[in-house]
Amino acid sequence: MSREIGRREFFRNSGASLLTVGAALYPRDGMLAAAPATPESPGDYKVKWYEFTEHKISDTCWSLSVGPDGRIYAAACAEGVPGGVVKVTRYNEAKDGLDYLFDLSKMVDDPGDSGRASQCKIHYSFAPSMHDGILYMATHLSGPPIDQPAYSPWLSWHDEKRCFRGSALLAYDTKTDEVKWWETLIPKEGCRCLLHDEERGLLYAISYPRDHFFIYDLKTRQRRDVGRIGSINAQTLFLDKMHRVWTTNDYGHLVRYDPEKDRLEMSPFVLPHNPEFQTGWHSVFYDVAPSPDRECVYAATWIANSYMMRIWPNEGEWPRIENLGPATQKRDPTVSKDTFVDHCGGLTFAGDGQLYYVASRWRDPVYNPMGPEHKQREGVVWRLNPATLEREEVTCLVHPRELAQYVSRGAVDHNGDLFFGHVGSRPSGIFKVEMPASRKKENAHLPIRMWG
Amino acid sequence: MMSDEKKKIDLNSAAAQQEANNIVHGTFVKQGTMVAFPTGFPGATIPILADESHITALDVSPQGFVYGGTSGKRAHIFVGMFHGVTGMVLDMKAVDGATHCVAVCCGKSRFLACVNGPSGGTILTARLQPWPYDLIQEWGFERPHFEDLGGVAGEPIVHAVADASRDHVVGVTAHHLFTVDFAAPKVQTVAEVLACGRIALGSKGNIVGPDGQGHLWRFDCSTQKLEPQAFKLPAGRWEKSPAVWARSAETGLLFTADDDGQFFSFDEQRGFSAPLGKTMLAPVYCMAATFDGRVFGSCGSGIAKMFCYDPRRREITNLGAAVSLFERRRYGYVFGDAVTGRDGEIVFGEDDDGGHLWLYFPRIEAASA
Repeated sequence: MSREIGRREFFRNSGASLLTVGAALYPRDGMLAAAPATPESPGDYKVKWYEFTEHKISDTCWSLSVGPDGRIYAAACAEGVPGGVVKVTRYNEAKDGLDYLFDLSKMVDDPGDSGRASQCKIHYSFAPSMHDGILYMATHLSGPPIDQPAYSPWLSWHDEKRCFRGSALLAYDTKTDEVKWWETLIPKEGCRCLLHDEERGLLYAISYPRDHFFIYDLKTRQRRDVGRIGSINAQTLFLDKMHRVWTTNDYGHLVRYDPEKDRLEMSPFVLPHNPEFQTGWHSVFYDVAPSPDRECVYAATWIANSYMMRIWPNEGEWPRIENLGPATQKRDPTVSKDTFVDHCGGLTFAGDGQLYYVASRWRDPVYNPMGPEHKQREGVVWRLNPATLEREEVTCLVHPRELAQYVSRGAVDHNGDLFFGHVGSRPSGIFKVEMPASRKKENAHLPIRMWG
Repeated sequence: MMSDEKKKIDLNSAAAQQEANNIVHGTFVKQGTMVAFPTGFPGATIPILADESHITALDVSPQGFVYGGTSGKRAHIFVGMFHGVTGMVLDMKAVDGATHCVAVCCGKSRFLACVNGPSGGTILTARLQPWPYDLIQEWGFERPHFEDLGGVAGEPIVHAVADASRDHVVGVTAHHLFTVDFAAPKVQTVAEVLACGRIALGSKGNIVGPDGQGHLWRFDCSTQKLEPQAFKLPAGRWEKSPAVWARSAETGLLFTADDDGQFFSFDEQRGFSAPLGKTMLAPVYCMAATFDGRVFGSCGSGIAKMFCYDPRRREITNLGAAVSLFERRRYGYVFGDAVTGRDGEIVFGEDDDGGHLWLYFPRIEAASA
């Protein structure tokens, strides 16, 4: 953790420096070629901030997904406040604001003042169910007990009074707006990411801190621990056409669960990474978006200087992987960069068949001396053309008070507008990027992404 | 619910920040250093497959190599080298049909591994590995030839150890005691026993093992004589039997713990000690003694904690959760066996998917301590 901007300090102080604006793509080698200028301008993409005003202690939004009803759901998480709990919200297009659906801790009878690590967040763990309109969600840990300044799941594992009760799995009916049922998905551990294989009625999850791979049968409501992957959670699972579930291990290898073999397998290859100062270690998935035809996925890694790639899981014994290069700018390789500053997330396809994502950009006197028209750190919305692999800057996320370079997840709603979950302000919130009419379409969220 | 006065916490206070640091960093290895080493030759081979690499058996050869066996979808037999210009683990054999390695025993020139599978136990033996050439420069390894000695009465093997001379191995199945002579490897069933846990080399060179829930039997290797109920177990909970031992190479003193983590020493002449303390969690999964008499082990399920029994202070200390920052950055949650390395370091076998050999270098005590 950086001493300058530690995790908790980042949550508290990320609005500290508000230098302003401008636009100039930083020069860099190896970057995807920028597309020629289009008739569109950033002004065509109206950016609006929706704060979690009814959950003022919220400090992160780790989960933002489109529900089976085509509406946007977001988790107002509160992990930096002892005893903080998560509230589930939904974007209401009629009022152009957020609806607060429920305080999750109340739904699962695990209040924030229990003295245990609290039900503070949903971490990449919304998963839709299309046939019945259910949105599954699973909670995660790290919010400290109400009277502790921090929580270590390793320290408190054997402590009945302090230990996190477990990841709560909820089935939320988006048609009736009620929680149909809930139960503990993973005792004592959090759920880092969740995936739904609807055809088989199975949920897949990765636990934290032990990094175990779990399968939950929705019919029998039974969980099964398949085994440990490593020490660093991947932040995403994805599903291929053969019902195989994919993720990554600590050293940047693909990990695949094949139901036919009932076994976790590791690929012989290391995922694309920076050859200068990375080894593949920690090149775990941060975010993965499926292409609309489900033939490939686009992924970004969870490490400063995140790399993007395109993976073809249905080809060959192990997938063909295309290195799409770094998502963020060049920087001094002799000092590690803060993970919350150098970041890429929010990958989603929109109604125009293009991939959108948010990558951070920051002022660096040597590598990116942006002018005063720029903020110190910015969240840039990029568009990547799958046919040409060209990318172009679409717009910047503008927060009314804070910096906005860190986006967790992105999704497109049934109208074709983009939404992004933000991390780094209190209260936290989400961004909406209204798309030009030419890039919108009805039911733009379909086929829906089945993982958080 | 917590009381109101406990709810006030100033996250910006120095005390809160200190406490937060203690919670985050004070959780892990508080004394000494742990290094997780993969079950391969880093940079030259891949490790043993993750779900075949639960390390459940270890022994150290006279030259200081660490021999071990794994459990999982398939058992493997390996050797680790950490001295001289080495630094590698050689996966010597994947044993088809075997899913659990219960013991590896080193003789003077050969070693032996006991593995179990759906069709029972099997004993395999091969020559000890010679020193390789400089493993920073050039190397070449071939998997050794293993001799299959077959099973023991068609039963799964429970455990086995080398005797003091390292000429023989003594082992147990659920109902039988057997021996193997390294010079002419052949399994000999010697007696019937009720074996329900690991066995150990006693202070006078005899082998002892759990005899039901209340006693230990003793086996004299030279006379091949088994003495049932030779020692009474001390008061405690022994429903799972004294399954774990540590042995001081200097004194021959054995250490064990009951189901609740009550700690005892055992000497063939004097029997069991009074309780020496209690580990902070139970059960104790494995432990080993270093040269100054301290015993290091692992206890507790799910996320194990390391402990140290210091005979001089007669106290058991919580060393925290296992973490490795060198060679591999990894948390350690489950350990299946432990042995004392050449220089007194403790080698723990990680009984988990993607299991590593964990070398623990204890803290050097101050001279006045």
